[in-house]
Amino acid sequence: MASPAVSRVRRQLPSSPWLFAAPGLIVIGAFVLYPFVSTLVNAFTDRRTLVPGEFVGLANFRELLHDDMFWIGLRNSTLYVLGVVPALVILPLLLALLVQKSIPGITFFRSAFYTPVVASIVVVGLIWVWLLDERGLVNALLETVGVGRIGFLSDQWLLLLSAMAVTVWKGLGYYMIIYLAALGNVPRELHEAAAVDGAGAVRRFLTVTVPAVRSTMVLVAALSSVAAFKVFSEVYLMAGPAGGPAGEDTTLVMLVQRTGTGLTGRVGYASAISVVVFVVTVVLMLLVLRADRREER
Amino acid sequence: MRISRRTFAAAAVAVVLVPLSACGSGGDDGGSADASGKVEGNITFQTWNLRANFKDYFEGLVADFEKKYPGTDVKWVDQPAEGYADKISADAAGGTLPDVVNVSPDLVAPLAKAGLALDLDKAAPQYRKEYLEGAWASHEIPGMTGTYAFPWYLNTGPLFYNKSLFEKAGLDPDQPPKTYDEVFSAALQIAQKTDGEVATLANVPTIEDFGRYGVPLMNKEGTGFTFNDAKGVELLTKYKELYDAKALDPQALTATPESSGKKFLTEAVAMNPGSALDLGNFKKQAPHLYNNIGITDQITSTGHVNMYVMGVMVNAQTKQKPAAVAFAHYVTDAAHQMSFAKQVAIFPSTAGSLDDPYFTKEDGTDETRVRVAAAESLKNAVNYTPVLFSEQMKVELRNAVARALQGKESPKEALDNAVKACDRLLQQQG
Repeated sequence: MASPAVSRVRRQLPSSPWLFAAPGLIVIGAFVLYPFVSTLVNAFTDRRTLVPGEFVGLANFRELLHDDMFWIGLRNSTLYVLGVVPALVILPLLLALLVQKSIPGITFFRSAFYTPVVASIVVVGLIWVWLLDERGLVNALLETVGVGRIGFLSDQWLLLLSAMAVTVWKGLGYYMIIYLAALGNVPRELHEAAAVDGAGAVRRFLTVTVPAVRSTMVLVAALSSVAAFKVFSEVYLMAGPAGGPAGEDTTLVMLVQRTGTGLTGRVGYASAISVVVFVVTVVLMLLVLRADRREER
Repeated sequence: MRISRRTFAAAAVAVVLVPLSACGSGGDDGGSADASGKVEGNITFQTWNLRANFKDYFEGLVADFEKKYPGTDVKWVDQPAEGYADKISADAAGGTLPDVVNVSPDLVAPLAKAGLALDLDKAAPQYRKEYLEGAWASHEIPGMTGTYAFPWYLNTGPLFYNKSLFEKAGLDPDQPPKTYDEVFSAALQIAQKTDGEVATLANVPTIEDFGRYGVPLMNKEGTGFTFNDAKGVELLTKYKELYDAKALDPQALTATPESSGKKFLTEAVAMNPGSALDLGNFKKQAPHLYNNIGITDQITSTGHVNMYVMGVMVNAQTKQKPAAVAFAHYVTDAAHQMSFAKQVAIFPSTAGSLDDPYFTKEDGTDETRVRVAAAESLKNAVNYTPVLFSEQMKVELRNAVARALQGKESPKEALDNAVKACDRLLQQQG
């Protein structure tokens, strides 16, 4: 039993859970909460880098509606989600099924598939720019087989597709690891029972594996759709700071960077775009979760 | 005293948020312009990507200054080239701008408007006569009175061309084009003879190209852009012809200086701007190109080449104004600019320095030929980049040019839209 003195001290101290949580709270407050609230507030001001700005109500959002570059950014970020997410939900699962098998040398392939994940995005971007250049390796091969050169880095749509390919290539290993963990939990007996009942490999995949890893697929879809909507590095590195020919490959986050940074940056307007990115991201997550619930029913 | 959970949580939030809320923008207090007084105290000097190659030079410069002015302590910091403007923005907004900062005219303009750059016409007018008139004027801001940085070094790159590619296209390799019209004609010939395999230019026209073509860039008051006039439309129309004929590289719309430099190295492009430093690079990485390299002046139809000006600005809010002004002047005075020019291919902005035999006498090498030619052209060079032309405006112009080259808009429409967008950004800058 605690002595009366100890009890008194305990009563006078604030709750100890708060003290334990304080370091984390301070970090989250400084690097997440404060920037978030600050962005929300700035979105309703005409703040610039060196000028505090004044409250302008919804003016920034009204301006967004008439800004062609905003709609280009929204289109490209949306296309990125549509192009990248299905590939990142399906391909890593197939890859995980392949490398799950215990065959000699499989560790090498597992590592090889994971290598792009740990590689620097800048290095990866530059390598792909060299590969896809008008006189790069890919075009040299295409020319050898008689297809002719393709302007991967000069056509706005091919540029966007190339950037998507890099995102998928770089993300495969990461999502493969998530699927590998999920596949480890699929009961072997289910596969054996299905095989005994005469189900082939494809049937077993569709009726046993997919339902068993469905929640992981939802997780991958949610994670990859949020990441895809916020894409910056791949497009910036491959299409250049201007966002491709005539800025047609600009994504929303690139637009935030371009508008809000530098000595003449329009922080208020860039914050308004960031708020839109946030809202769309939340909506995307809700859509994925809703689709999952509907499936469950 | 008992502290409720709610009170504690509120206090924790306040502890986190209140100090951060102080991180606002710099105020508009330009501080006193008086720089007289004893030169002493600690100051910070920031350069722009110079440590890697000139560490010894700057350490010597700082040590000499501290010896000349006992009681001073200069801390030298260097920032990488990439994101330099963002670094200055963050420092300016956070109130941590160094006392003496290496800047270019376009970086000075917003800092001066925010009251963060010291007006040297008030604080140090006695130094004005030491510099070339045009160089001193390059840090004047339209719409404001005063000069907001000491001019430091100047540069103007030569234009390199591939003699072998010129010869293959039936052009005289010893008579390179000098004006835009000559470049356009040579470029179309090269594209035609090589079946579009070799482009002559790798970059879309920039604001400096418009200037050198003779297009008026801004009105006299500095309140609006004018590069959409008939001359500007003419230039863009000609570039469109080049693009269609593949005389302008198909990847020009997304090119960066690095990517176009690489294309010139691989002999996919016949002409490229550069500096005397590039010669060593050609020799090492592309010996065939080096053996066929031609060097000529920048293309200009106005008789004036473009010059790039670097400056040294004094933070108007520095606590050590006399020391900061003295150091900024020390870095940029004639003796130190001359000694820096001997370390690297740059040119002093101080009056009379370009008449030094170092800039007027050739010794038969390509390096001195480039140096002497550049120094000569700098005597009547113009800084064609408008001081108020921000990064966002560069993007607007570049995108408009790309739309015209792709045929999505006519050159006139594209330039009208670019001027409209740049004028809007100019108004928003205040």
